[in-house]
Amino acid sequence: MVAIPGDASDETLMVRYQRGDRDAFTLLVRRHQRPLYNFVLRQLRHQTLAEEITQEVFLRVVQSANEYKHEARFCTWAYAIARNLCVDQLRKAQHRRHPSLDQPLGPGDDARALADVVPDPTPLANAERGAGATQMRAMLIQAVETLPDDQREVYLLRELANLSFKEIAEVTGVAENTAKSRMRYALERLRTRLADYEEYARALR
Amino acid sequence: MDCERFDRIVLDFLYDELDELTAAAARRHVEQCARCRGIVAGLRATREVGALPLVDPPEGLELRILEAERQVRDRLPMRQRAGRAVSVLAGYAMRPQLAMAALLLLAIGSGLVFFRQRPNDRDTVSVTERGVAESDPEQISVLPRLDSEAPASPTPRPSLAAAPSPLAKELASATRNGMAVAPAATAAPAEARDGEDSVYQAALAAYHAGRYREARQQFESVVAQGGGDAARAAYYAALSAKAGEGCGSAATLFDQVSQHYPGTGAGYDATWEAAGCYSTLGDTERARRSYQALLDEASYGARATAALAQLDRADGPTPASAPVPVAARKSAASAPAAAAPAKPAAAAGGAVKAEPEPSKSKAGPARQ
Repeated sequence: MVAIPGDASDETLMVRYQRGDRDAFTLLVRRHQRPLYNFVLRQLRHQTLAEEITQEVFLRVVQSANEYKHEARFCTWAYAIARNLCVDQLRKAQHRRHPSLDQPLGPGDDARALADVVPDPTPLANAERGAGATQMRAMLIQAVETLPDDQREVYLLRELANLSFKEIAEVTGVAENTAKSRMRYALERLRTRLADYEEYARALR
Repeated sequence: MDCERFDRIVLDFLYDELDELTAAAARRHVEQCARCRGIVAGLRATREVGALPLVDPPEGLELRILEAERQVRDRLPMRQRAGRAVSVLAGYAMRPQLAMAALLLLAIGSGLVFFRQRPNDRDTVSVTERGVAESDPEQISVLPRLDSEAPASPTPRPSLAAAPSPLAKELASATRNGMAVAPAATAAPAEARDGEDSVYQAALAAYHAGRYREARQQFESVVAQGGGDAARAAYYAALSAKAGEGCGSAATLFDQVSQHYPGTGAGYDATWEAAGCYSTLGDTERARRSYQALLDEASYGARATAALAQLDRADGPTPASAPVPVAARKSAASAPAAAAPAKPAAAAGGAVKAEPEPSKSKAGPARQ
């Protein structure tokens, strides 16, 4: 197909796709599947669901490609779809107390399985370096996943999706200031949870 | 700047979202104020520690997405594909943000009106052309299926359900990657083929603007240059012929594309279009041959089968062709290549080229 410059913006790719260039869509998928997947995974804590929803996000992009306007940012659009699908899932899970979303994941989940091994409050004292990094990572994932829903989504949209606060406000349907204060609460909460590990994490770098 | 004001903008400061002046004021304040310095340092440290490691999506997700895309798009009714072109034009007229549904309705429903309102748009005929394609029974039968699927919240799709559990792999790769994860391989290396690319783009623009003859000439020049776009351009040239002049001259062009680019997406797309054209022209024999050539192709197989069944119903039951036996399919698959006459297409192409074209080429009005 037509050569696409590697640095073509998402919006350019989307317009090319609208006009029938499927390679542009492939590029969009390559760019965004990973952060989108991670966003959904941390929201729902469920790998299979995360995979399905990531696929669903792209399918909705395909189905609504007609309505896409160049002025709209692709990221904002895609994450709004992903976020809404996640909200639906979380709501459903609340209704029927879906076991997989309610409880920690099974032994297959890295975060939970490893988080169980984490209780040592003084990791610096005895953790061997590699194991410490894994613990740290598990601890962090657990801390993020247990943030209240409204804080977690803002945190993920900011840190994973790299959206601006204005865009986050758009995606989540709240005022920009609300998005910011949720972000601040999230950071402060994480800080308390990760305080013990802060020094260690710095040592790792 | 005082502490109260700083508190209000501290997050914008943290994420570099302040304008330059405010950012400078904030920096000055932080230098002087131990309290705010502490706050910023704390938040920044948490941000650093809290940088989430990205895990790789399960292997094969990309392929599954692309395959699903192909299926959805191939199933998009002709009406919607036409709507796609219309929406590009209608984008100008309908800046104020309407509800999505309204836009879609307008794009589809009033597509005809929009085309007609454009003074230099010569081919209101093309809309009629598309109308012919719409009557393709398969397209219509597909519509409700698509609609019922669209709003359904993510239930496991067959392709997904069939996939082996990626859990173990994901865990393995996640652990392997540790904290630092290499960024996903993104863009394919960009080749500097700007000239060719711009011709192709101009051709696409002309096509979407409804200047089919111009589009066809430009697509043909891309084909003549060869390269990666040739197959797709050839397909589009034939599509332009269909839109501009109708199936009569386009059918054989589609056949040529299938012959020249067998096994490619463009080739299959062309075979499908050829079948539709022959069917429209009442040449069920050729239509049938083209559909049969698609029976073994992943994304077209099911639709080709349905189209064949439809042809059979229209023809009355002919025992030979109802359920096509595999052996017959195999032999039929190679048939159209040999059977399709190349001469009429060449003649049609020549005829078009002979006609002088007002040279207002290059990028047409269809731009965003």
